[in-house]
Amino acid sequence: MKIRLMVLASLVLVAPLSGCIESVSTKETCTVLPAGHDDDGTLRILTYDISALSDEVLDDFTTETGIPVEMIKVDDAGGILDQMMLTKEAQQADLMIGLDNTYLPTAIDNCLLRPHETNPDNITAAAAAFYEGPLAVPFDQGDVCLNFDEDMLAEANMSIPTHLNELTEDEWKGKIAFPSPVTSSPGRAFLVATMEYFSLENDNDAMSWWSGMIDNDAIITTGWTEAYETHYTGGYGEYTEGHIGDAWMTVSYCHSPGVEAFYSGNSTHSTSLMIDHASFHQVEYTGLINGAAQINGARLFIDYLLTPEVNGNMPENNLMYSVLEGYDLPETDGYRYHADVPSVVTVMDYEQIHANMDQWLEEWKTATQQA
Amino acid sequence: MPRNSEIVGRGFVVMAYVALSSVPFVYAMARLQSVTGQTPLEAFLEFPEAYGATEALQFTLLEASASALLTVLFGVPIAWYLGRYHWRHATMLRAVFSVPFVMPAIVVAMGFLLLIDQQSLLFKVGLDLRTETGVIGAYADWTGWSHPGHFLALIIAHAWFNLSLIIRFVEPTVARLDPAWEEQMSLLGQGQSTFGRLRHLWWPVLGPAVLCAASLSFLFSFTSFALVKWLTPFNQTLESLMASYGGSAGIADYRVDTSEIVMSASIVQFLILLGTLYLTSTLQRRHSNRFALVSEHGAQASRGPPTLKAKVTVYAGFLFALAPMIAAVTASFRIRNRTATGTSYTWGMEAWNAAWAGDLSTLSVTEALTNSMIFAIGTLIVALPVGWILASTIHALEINNNHRLAKALDIATLLPLAISAIMVGLGVLLGVLKSMPSLFQWSLLPILPHVILTVPFVVRIMLPAMRSVDPKWKEQASVLGLNPLRTWYHGYFSFIRGPAVVASSLTLAFSLGEFGASWLLVRSGSWDTLSVLVDTLMSRPKFDPLVQPTAMAAATVLMMLTFLLFFLAERFRAEGEGGGF
Repeated sequence: MKIRLMVLASLVLVAPLSGCIESVSTKETCTVLPAGHDDDGTLRILTYDISALSDEVLDDFTTETGIPVEMIKVDDAGGILDQMMLTKEAQQADLMIGLDNTYLPTAIDNCLLRPHETNPDNITAAAAAFYEGPLAVPFDQGDVCLNFDEDMLAEANMSIPTHLNELTEDEWKGKIAFPSPVTSSPGRAFLVATMEYFSLENDNDAMSWWSGMIDNDAIITTGWTEAYETHYTGGYGEYTEGHIGDAWMTVSYCHSPGVEAFYSGNSTHSTSLMIDHASFHQVEYTGLINGAAQINGARLFIDYLLTPEVNGNMPENNLMYSVLEGYDLPETDGYRYHADVPSVVTVMDYEQIHANMDQWLEEWKTATQQA
Repeated sequence: MPRNSEIVGRGFVVMAYVALSSVPFVYAMARLQSVTGQTPLEAFLEFPEAYGATEALQFTLLEASASALLTVLFGVPIAWYLGRYHWRHATMLRAVFSVPFVMPAIVVAMGFLLLIDQQSLLFKVGLDLRTETGVIGAYADWTGWSHPGHFLALIIAHAWFNLSLIIRFVEPTVARLDPAWEEQMSLLGQGQSTFGRLRHLWWPVLGPAVLCAASLSFLFSFTSFALVKWLTPFNQTLESLMASYGGSAGIADYRVDTSEIVMSASIVQFLILLGTLYLTSTLQRRHSNRFALVSEHGAQASRGPPTLKAKVTVYAGFLFALAPMIAAVTASFRIRNRTATGTSYTWGMEAWNAAWAGDLSTLSVTEALTNSMIFAIGTLIVALPVGWILASTIHALEINNNHRLAKALDIATLLPLAISAIMVGLGVLLGVLKSMPSLFQWSLLPILPHVILTVPFVVRIMLPAMRSVDPKWKEQASVLGLNPLRTWYHGYFSFIRGPAVVASSLTLAFSLGEFGASWLLVRSGSWDTLSVLVDTLMSRPKFDPLVQPTAMAAATVLMMLTFLLFFLAERFRAEGEGGGF
């Protein structure tokens, strides 16, 4: 009885408190917001655990400009967007680094960024194609696609799939791990690829394929790490604790086999599945946060991030391609040799992603739950 | 009679703590209500419709119940023998059994993964809990239960984690119960069989303690997150479900489905845990009933040296407690070396050097350790007096026969344990943003959630100790003509000094190992602690073979420090003063 009373009391207690917080509307005409925090001279960067921004790189920036840098780290690109949305009323950072092109339209739509007024040049056409406006600047890029274990396929005498529908067949039962598009940015990028891939076919749709994959016991994980490290047999995961190794195929970057080789003395048994339109060109952006305090520092850092010294080293330091013209992956230890380059990637544009992303995620949840 | 100023002071601390620990939850709930347009009751009723929620609840209830049961099965024999006999190096044994409870879950997860991987002893004897081949695979095929190996690994890890709860609750009572009771019981007809003594003596004496520890084990297994993430990758608990979707919860007009999931799941979790806490509080009060207690040394001496069975049980438990930690330390020296011709492992200090220098674009271990120590000491300075005042207030209410209010306050102090870390994080974020955003630039902000999380443990340790102090001792001290301070010291404090030291060390260790709240706050500022550093490294892609050993080196520093704290606390603790977290 007492417990019941407590339960009721707690529910009743909380119910009227919603009045304490006003509803927050996000769809509005963008205006430049005042600083959300005090400007104490420090540049605050909201990012994920981006290894390209080592202490050395940050120290060099501070030495050059006299501006100290503080990093606020979240899990991934989705976390950056969530954090900016949650702290919209009083942004705690000045610069974001890490939103990709599947998240950028939502950030722009919600007025989370302000014009950067920097003039980056020398950006590759592939990096600039998705968005060329004043609110975000690309800083690295790479193609998201399916990776598979060549050795496992050879041992099982299986042929390399030439169409995504082949993955719903029995021989692939329980052998593919997908990071969930709801909680992972590579997962989200691959969902976009499948939307385009199946939109080009008359008698098929992406959600039926996803249902088919769930029926075929595909493994859905929360993030890329679980899919690649815990489940995938072709990557470094086999040498880490907790490796299960039940997936011969997973979602990663087309150049992931090159990264494998780079860290393994030019050896890897992972490669990418090169099917037209079944990969997505992911571009990661940096941008000035609407509500920033240290605006000058943020602009200087955008310029700094695009210098050849910093951006040219993206492949070694952040395991992604540079966005600068003339910079490719290094040839050291087979990095470039083993990195696959898809001939036809998904060309979903800004407007399509902006208009459809939420709906695709909902449809994906329904398709995978009902399967 | 307490003075008015004392009553006002106590009332202020009580109100401030209750507000501090409940406002974040209320704030988060109010925001979710605003975003989803659902009342808490509607959200509760919608729970079965939330994506993945029903499966998560079923799994959570199953693993938490099994973990609590296994904790009792592992813990009671160890506590029994540890309490009954005098052990050489008892201080070290107790410290080793205590450390798991405050280990960051991510370190525990890595330790257990090392113990069940394909190079492990378990795998070699045919128990493959990870890839589920052999006996485990055959069992899975036979029963149709997918991944029994993962489930088993999880509940063993939870039992390891919660072992100290059972030992802390049960061992002191076993150690100090008057041996004459046992002798008298064995003379009676009902006490001549082992079962009879168990039923008529030990169960009434130890039962509440065991059940209290079991209900707390259930609670901590219920809210488990990192262990579930790493050890059972195919399943989610309510907490891990909320963690998966929690990032975008509370944002208007964006991913409202995530707000709905978090709101429904947090209400269901809160209600279940509130019930568990009610049970815990009731059981702990029954446990605090005074039995005929004697000197620990006297009781243990009367039973002679430890028997072989006792030695095997306690030392097996000791190895069990140490194994994941040893595995983690070992992994910090082992470096993978992959070449075109194959993979080999070398042993060396590279990872330690990287950890010390912060070579992997992280804080160095020394910087993270400094942050951790500052937060831990700050937490201690606030949490100990607050916990003390709360415990003494509850005790004063009990003495004045105001049992209903005492019980309500007792449960209120436990509330932070029932609230999801995701909700606390969201609530603190929203609350601070709304009231004082400049707090995000305050370098000591992590102390706030650490205090909220550690005070319940201070209360749990201090309250039974205060209950066991006989008021006559204070009266006798005052009769001796001592001044009020010395009366308080000799007639009261000297009897609870040991638990106060234990509470202090636990607060320090808990703050050092705390991960959830720090991680949530890291999203709004730069407050990397040692446990956040370990998680940052473990969450990274590990193409670079130095990443994992470096994380283990940082984890080793954290473990050593925690062990040292408990070892020192045990030395300060007077005999038998170990009851109750």
